[in-house]
Amino acid sequence: MKCAPFRVELPSTVDEVVAALVEHGEDAKILAGGQSLIPMLAMRLARFDVLIDVHHVDGLASIQLDQNTIRIGSRVRQSEIERSDVIKRHLPVLAEATALIGHFQIRNRGTIGGSLVHADPAAEYPAVALALGATFEVTGPAGTRVIPAADFFLGYWTTALTDDEVLVAIHFPIPEGKRVGMTVKEVARRHGDFALAGAVASIGLDPSGAIVETAIALFSAADQPLRLTEMEAALTGHSPDSLDIPALSAAAAAGLAPGDDLHGSADFRRHLFRHLIADVAAEAITRAQEATNV
Amino acid sequence: MSATTSPPAGATPRYIGQAVARKEDPRLLTGQGEYVDDLSLQGMLHVAFARSPHASALIRSIDASAAKELEGVRAVLTGADLNGDAHEMKSSYEVLIGSVGPVLEPLASARVKYVGDPVVMVIAESRAIAEDAIELLEIEYDPQTPVIGYETSLANETLVHPEMKTNLASVLTSEPDPALDRAFANAVHIVQETIRQHRYINVPMETRGLIASWHSGRGEMTFYSATQLPNEFRTFTTRLLAIPENKIRVIARDVGGGFGQKAFVGREEAAVLLAAKRIGRPLKWIEDRWENLVSANHAREELVHVRIAFDADYRITAVFCDHEEDIGALPASGTSLTTGQMVGMMFPGPYKIPHAGYSTKMIWTNTCGRLPYRGPWMMETVAREIMIDIAARRLGIDALELRRRNTITEADMPYTSATGMSYDRLSIDRTLEKVAAGIDFEAFRIEQGEARAAGRLIGIGLSHLVEPTAAAGGSFGIEVANIRMQPSGYVDVYVGTGNHGQGTETTMAQIVADTLGIEYEKVFVHDGDTDMVPFGGGSGASRTAVLAGAACHAAGAELRGKIVQLAAHYLEAAPEDLEINSGKISVRGTPTHFLEMTEVAFKAYNDSPSLPPGMSPGLEATARHAADGITFANATHACIVEVDPKTYRVKVLRYLVSSDCGVVINPAVVEGQIAGGVIQGIGGVLFEHFAYDENGNPLTTTFMDYLLPTAADVPTIEYAHLETPAKGPGGYKGVGEGGAIASPPAIVNAVADALGMDLPSQPLSPSLLFAMVNRAPTS
Ligand SMILES: Cc1cc2nc3c(=O)[nH]c(=O)nc-3n(C[C@H](O)[C@H](O)[C@H](O)COP(=O)(O)OP(=O)(O)OC[C@H]3O[C@@H](n4cnc5c(N)ncnc54)[C@H](O)[C@@H]3O)c2cc1C
Repeated sequence: MKCAPFRVELPSTVDEVVAALVEHGEDAKILAGGQSLIPMLAMRLARFDVLIDVHHVDGLASIQLDQNTIRIGSRVRQSEIERSDVIKRHLPVLAEATALIGHFQIRNRGTIGGSLVHADPAAEYPAVALALGATFEVTGPAGTRVIPAADFFLGYWTTALTDDEVLVAIHFPIPEGKRVGMTVKEVARRHGDFALAGAVASIGLDPSGAIVETAIALFSAADQPLRLTEMEAALTGHSPDSLDIPALSAAAAAGLAPGDDLHGSADFRRHLFRHLIADVAAEAITRAQEATNV
Repeated sequence: MSATTSPPAGATPRYIGQAVARKEDPRLLTGQGEYVDDLSLQGMLHVAFARSPHASALIRSIDASAAKELEGVRAVLTGADLNGDAHEMKSSYEVLIGSVGPVLEPLASARVKYVGDPVVMVIAESRAIAEDAIELLEIEYDPQTPVIGYETSLANETLVHPEMKTNLASVLTSEPDPALDRAFANAVHIVQETIRQHRYINVPMETRGLIASWHSGRGEMTFYSATQLPNEFRTFTTRLLAIPENKIRVIARDVGGGFGQKAFVGREEAAVLLAAKRIGRPLKWIEDRWENLVSANHAREELVHVRIAFDADYRITAVFCDHEEDIGALPASGTSLTTGQMVGMMFPGPYKIPHAGYSTKMIWTNTCGRLPYRGPWMMETVAREIMIDIAARRLGIDALELRRRNTITEADMPYTSATGMSYDRLSIDRTLEKVAAGIDFEAFRIEQGEARAAGRLIGIGLSHLVEPTAAAGGSFGIEVANIRMQPSGYVDVYVGTGNHGQGTETTMAQIVADTLGIEYEKVFVHDGDTDMVPFGGGSGASRTAVLAGAACHAAGAELRGKIVQLAAHYLEAAPEDLEINSGKISVRGTPTHFLEMTEVAFKAYNDSPSLPPGMSPGLEATARHAADGITFANATHACIVEVDPKTYRVKVLRYLVSSDCGVVINPAVVEGQIAGGVIQGIGGVLFEHFAYDENGNPLTTTFMDYLLPTAADVPTIEYAHLETPAKGPGGYKGVGEGGAIASPPAIVNAVADALGMDLPSQPLSPSLLFAMVNRAPTS
């Protein structure tokens, strides 16, 4: 369990990162917190001759609040997100999701960008990004492009990022001035384990209390985070009181084809999703109803 | 020496029974322990092994040329290169009881028998380079159909070891007994079920490892080892290398746990010793976690078909324990025969059972080999205690009441079980009542009813055991203590144990301090270096307190006798009139007339003319204590759990242990032993499962998949000690394994009680519990 030899490059600008990626091609990989990459190298499941360490790159490590978005640099540590006052105030669900990632030692090193690019189907951030409609600011040799979350995740550990691109930042829209409730829940074997099943919900109400926008995303349900579009449609336009959320959740869960492994059979995961979907939907509605920023 | 809770002759116990601070803690708690990987020798090279990716395959060819070319690689050795150097690969236990199965070879030479089987050894300037070289090896395998699943492998034509002509390693059955058959024939109720447990394993914090250094000029092999049995490792090595035992030195500094895993020299360790001698440079091998999980050893994959006969009053009239165990491909040399028999002999356990029979089969499969794991025979308690609850549920009687009706009481002592185990000085009924009161059964049943009504699932489970301690034979039945009071008055104690977390440095010092009447701070216990300590069995089998403790008492008493004689000579008093207190020797009744122990010690070494005529100089005594049969101990565990009806996660809400290990030397050490075992039981039932797929590929090769319990999964464990002294010196009984033996069934029973259903198999992971609940309608 020792890494094969590799060289480390320490670029200081995004352009230098891109240049290094172009130069080394598939022999190189970006190193952020190392919490996913280094174990893979140590177990020799992957091998790269060059690691491009982004710790010294300008502009990747800040959290900025604009009018309707929060821009989070890709190198921002998970623990910084968990503690950030800006995030706790404007996007508390992101802080809540962060607390579910591994253990604090991992969050002290692991970055939001690393987690999103690693794109583990059981990870929290990709599902949160999908539910919240985040966008990915990505720079490559041809310049910078923006990829919506819905187009970013392509499958197991696979994203729309090309080999010569670097994730610079993630933009989360914030529901300022709207009556929106958001929440995230998961079930894991032990505290800190990857989720057996997880769900994120964001639900907006109009002044009459009817649901006007719904986003529910699942993690650990498929090879990538999954939106429950049918259930979202069934909720939107209705008053919460008129909905049978447990029945809708059961129907949504029944349609899932989650993984089947030692820690959770597909049946068991569907069972968990049935409860989780109902729980996040109900809680998001409650939070939206309680939201004071109308 | 008589059975007594107090130390010998005169002095009042000052340390025995106290939770004195552990001598090993300052270094261990400040990160200054010295484990194998903390040590480094001049010129040392590093070892890594290429391991089989197949559960069963023939090795067609090995091309190491590219690996040998890599810069930094010093040697690449295959079985063909190395195995011929091995003279004999046998543990002393195997020498004693005979061999079962094929002769072990350091590296697989013709056939690999499980995923992880070591095939090629690479020696390089760093472990990383050695691993680089492994990637350059070209090993051609001819994969064979593996034998996976012990429940079907006896009917399987495919063989793990073709030369053995069967997959049945051993079978042992109790004598035919017509009375037993009659008891079953006349039973009012018979309850039968197959109880299974799954493969879970030792997982010491420090993995296996050693640094071996050959000195060709002296012809000496010195090795630093993570071992539980330093002297056994030395004797093994003398057979392995065919060099005099005197030329071998085994040093175990701090050892980070073992639980049985480090009681046998592993094949990799043997390979390192052979290669170190051949190459002449010190070699380090420290196993990584992947290696430790897939190839150090496995345990606990076994079943018992249990049959229990009851009379009309629910008194047990007969039991039959039909045991089968998966021992993998290459189990520990020698132990595959005897533990199964122990399962059968201990099966009646704490209950009054007139007739008992057993059968046990040990079965080979193409998986990692079995080794002892804390309470290697513990399936007797697991199967029996789960079965008692199943019987209670089926017969409609309360599980506590069923136990009460059948428990052996103090009035029954001495008691000989139907399998011939002689119990004496046990408090089986009293630990049961302590636990019943401490956990408040009646109150819990009310709380449980209320909880159910509110949609909460809580349950209570009991487990009851008689633990055979210091039970093993061979060198494990004997221990030694050599005590030297040095000229300064400080005392060195040399014992043959291999302390790897048991607190031996503390507990043996407590005994010696009390026996000699001196301060605990002046006593230093040494083990783990074969150049320093006399031959002794080591640490394992819950033996240290009983056997090393007895040896310390005996050697201490002899030394004390000499000190008193010498002091009597100087004080011009009769030896029987003297007493020792806090290092001062005085004539009883005249405390002002005294000698300091330090003065006596100084004179014993420096002033031989002053000694009484005929007395030898120096202050030293050695005693060996041989076990007088098995020292039985007893305990009862109770556990309360809550099962989340949505997630099927189990939370342990309360855990209470009443344990009677005789005289408690140090309550903190005893509680540490129990707690560690209980946590291993919580892990085993709820989290840990070493799994293979149907092709013999291991599925749980990192801690992401092999789940250990964390602090968050463990409740505060409560204790209610009883002390019924054993008849041996000091009155001690072992307590090392009971926690791990009795906890799994207590937890299973609590979960079953919460769900109101039988749970005959484990683990109780949320997914499997969900499947069991949704398969079986709850009663
Ligand atoms: C014990 C343990 C438990 C864990 N539990 C969880 C959990 O419950 N939930 C969870 O979500 N995660 C969990 N993780 C993973 C953790 O969140 C990782 O930190 C995260 O997946 C990767 O982030 P990182 O910064 O460490 O990235 P790295 O490991 O450094 O990199 C990961 C991947 O992202 C790429 N990358 C990183 N930054 C960029 C960038 N700016 N542009 C392009 N590519 C980039 C790297 O090249 C690499 O391919 C756990 C990890 C461990 C060790």
